[in-house]
Amino acid sequence: MSKQNFERGSSLSIFVSDRREDLTALIFAFAIAFGVMLTV
Amino acid sequence: MIYTIKSPALLIIGILMLVWGGLNTSGALDGVQSYLQKSAYGNHMTVKAKFDFEARAATEIAAAEGKPAPAVMKMPASSFDAAKADQARIVNMFGGTFLLIGLFTLLWKPKQGDLDYFISVVPGIAFILLIVVVVRWVLDPIFGNLGRAVQDAGILSWNFARIFNLNHIVLGILAGIIAANVFKIPAWAGNGVRTARLGLKTGVILLGTLYSAKELAQLGVLSVVMIGIFVLGSVWLVLIMGKRMQCTNSMTGVLSAGIGVCGVSAAVAAAPVVKATAEEIAYTIGTVLIWGVGCMFLFPTVGHLLEMGPVQFGAWAGTGILNSAQVAGAALAFDPNGIETLKVAEIFNITRVLFLPLIVLWLAAWYMKHEVGAEKINLTQVVISKFPLFVLGFIGMFAMSTMGVFAPADHYQGKYFSSAEVKQDKLLSGKALRALDGELTRLRGAEDAQVLSKFLVEKTVVIESHRVTSEEVYKAFVELIANKKMMTRDQSYILFAVSKMEGLDPGAKGAIDNAKKAAEFDSKVITAYRDWLVWLFGFGLVGLGMQITGKSLKQAGGMPLIIGGTVGTVKAVGSLIVVMLFVKEFI
Repeated sequence: MSKQNFERGSSLSIFVSDRREDLTALIFAFAIAFGVMLTV
Repeated sequence: MIYTIKSPALLIIGILMLVWGGLNTSGALDGVQSYLQKSAYGNHMTVKAKFDFEARAATEIAAAEGKPAPAVMKMPASSFDAAKADQARIVNMFGGTFLLIGLFTLLWKPKQGDLDYFISVVPGIAFILLIVVVVRWVLDPIFGNLGRAVQDAGILSWNFARIFNLNHIVLGILAGIIAANVFKIPAWAGNGVRTARLGLKTGVILLGTLYSAKELAQLGVLSVVMIGIFVLGSVWLVLIMGKRMQCTNSMTGVLSAGIGVCGVSAAVAAAPVVKATAEEIAYTIGTVLIWGVGCMFLFPTVGHLLEMGPVQFGAWAGTGILNSAQVAGAALAFDPNGIETLKVAEIFNITRVLFLPLIVLWLAAWYMKHEVGAEKINLTQVVISKFPLFVLGFIGMFAMSTMGVFAPADHYQGKYFSSAEVKQDKLLSGKALRALDGELTRLRGAEDAQVLSKFLVEKTVVIESHRVTSEEVYKAFVELIANKKMMTRDQSYILFAVSKMEGLDPGAKGAIDNAKKAAEFDSKVITAYRDWLVWLFGFGLVGLGMQITGKSLKQAGGMPLIIGGTVGTVKAVGSLIVVMLFVKEFI
C-alpha cells in the first residue's frame, strides 16, 4: 500500500470499524440481489 | 483533512473504458478479440457458416422457383457477439460513471466531510477495476492461448498456464502485488484501494444465494467437524509451542488466533483480549501473510496434481489456508470458471469465522489463567462484540434464496429443468424415437435385463436414497417415446445414467442427450449472480495483492515465524491427508 495515512478507517478499510464495513457489505449484497432479480 | 486529490486519472480511466466499449461495438477490435476469445470465435464461425449456407440455399430455391430473392436475413448472435456485447455493456456503464465523477472532481472545490471522503474513494475503485478488466479480458486469454500453443508445439508436454494457475484470479493478485511493490499505488488511488475487503465481504454474502439446503447441510456438517479439529487443534498447538519456546503470553495468544482462525481479522480481534502490543500484532500479521501467500499459490497446483475435485479442494483450502481472502483466492485460482470450489471453500471459511468468538473467549480465559495480574473480562460482551455480522448476512441471503425469493429454489445451480418450456423443434424425431424403442425392446430381453440390473447396482443409480429399478428405467423410456421429450427431472436423471451403459445404441444415446439438453435451461438470475460474484471476488483479490508488500512480509520473523510455520504446515498437511482419505465428491 502507499504510505498515505488516513484519519478515517485503517490501512485495510475505509470504514472506522469492521461492523460498519460488514453492514455496508450487507446493504450492497442485498441491493445487488434485488437489483438483479428486478432487472434480469 | 481533504481526501479528494485533483487528478485527471479518473477521467482518463473512464475514457479508456468507453473507448474499449465503442471499439467492441463497432467491430473494430474483432481481429484482436478473435485471438483473445478463440473458443467463442470458433462458435461465431460455425454460426456464420450455417447462416451463409442457409441464405445461399434460400436464394437458389427462390431462383429455381422463379421467385424474387428473399430479403436479407439477420445472422443470429453467436457467443462471440454476446461476449463482445457483455464487455461493451460493462465498460460503458463503469466508464460513463467514472467519466462523470472524474469531471466533477476536476471542477469541484472539495470541502472536508463525507462527500469529499467518499468521492475520493472512486479513483481507487476505478484503478482496481481497470486492472481487473485488463487481466480478465486480455492477460488471462493470452496466457491460456500461450499455454496451449507451447504444449501443442511440443515444447512442453504440459500446459504451463494450467499447472501454474495463470488465470485471471492469480494474474490479478500478481498484478496487485506488482502495482503496489514495483510501481507503488498512486496517491489519487490510495484511499479507494482500501475498498477491496468490502468487495470480498459483499461477494461472500451474495454467495449465499447459490447453495441448496441439502448442499449446505452436507457441507455444514463436514466443515464443523474439520474446522473444529484443525482450528482448535492449531490454536492449542500454538499455545503449547509458545510456552515451550518462552514467548510472552500476549504474543502466543495473538499468534494462536491468527494461525488458528482466520488470519489478520482474528489477530486484530484477539489482540485486546490478550493485551498484545502493536509489535506483536505486526509479527502475527507478517507471519499469517507470508504463510498464506505461499499457500495461495501452492495449494491450487497441488490440487491439480492430485486431481482433487471441488469438494476436496474447497475443504482443504478452507481448512488449511489462514486468511479469508487467501481462501477465496486459492479456490478461484483452482477453478476460475466455476463457482463450485469457491462455494465449498467459503462454507469452511465461514465456519472458521464463526469459531472466532469462541476462540477469543478461550484465549481470554487462557490469558487470565496464565498472566499474573490480568484484568477480568466480560466474556458475554466479548462474544457479542466479536461476532462477524457479514456471516449473518450470508445466512440471511441463503434463507431468502431457499424460500425462492430471488429465483425458484431449483434454479440455484444456474440451470433448471422445465418440460413445459421445451420448444417444438427440439422434440425428438422419428429416427430418434425408433432408436429408443429398439433399445427398450433389447433391454427388456432376459439377458440384457440382467445386464441393466447389474449396471444400476454397480453405478449406484439412486434418487433420494432409493435405488432405481429396471422397471423405472423401462417406464422412463416409454414416457420419453410417448412424449418425445423429458417430462421430469428424475426421468432425465435415470435415462442419462443409463445412457452411460456400455453397448447402448449411439442413436438412443444421442436421443437421450438431446432430450436432456432440450429440457435444461439457464437461469438468467443465477447466471447474473455468478457474474457479479466473479467481479466482486476479482476486485477484492486484486486489492488483496496490493496489500502484500515487502514491508508487510518483513514484519514476520523470529519465534512467531517458526511457530506459525510449524503449526501452519501441520494444519495444511494434516487437513490434506484427512481430505484425501475421507472426503468424497458429492456436488
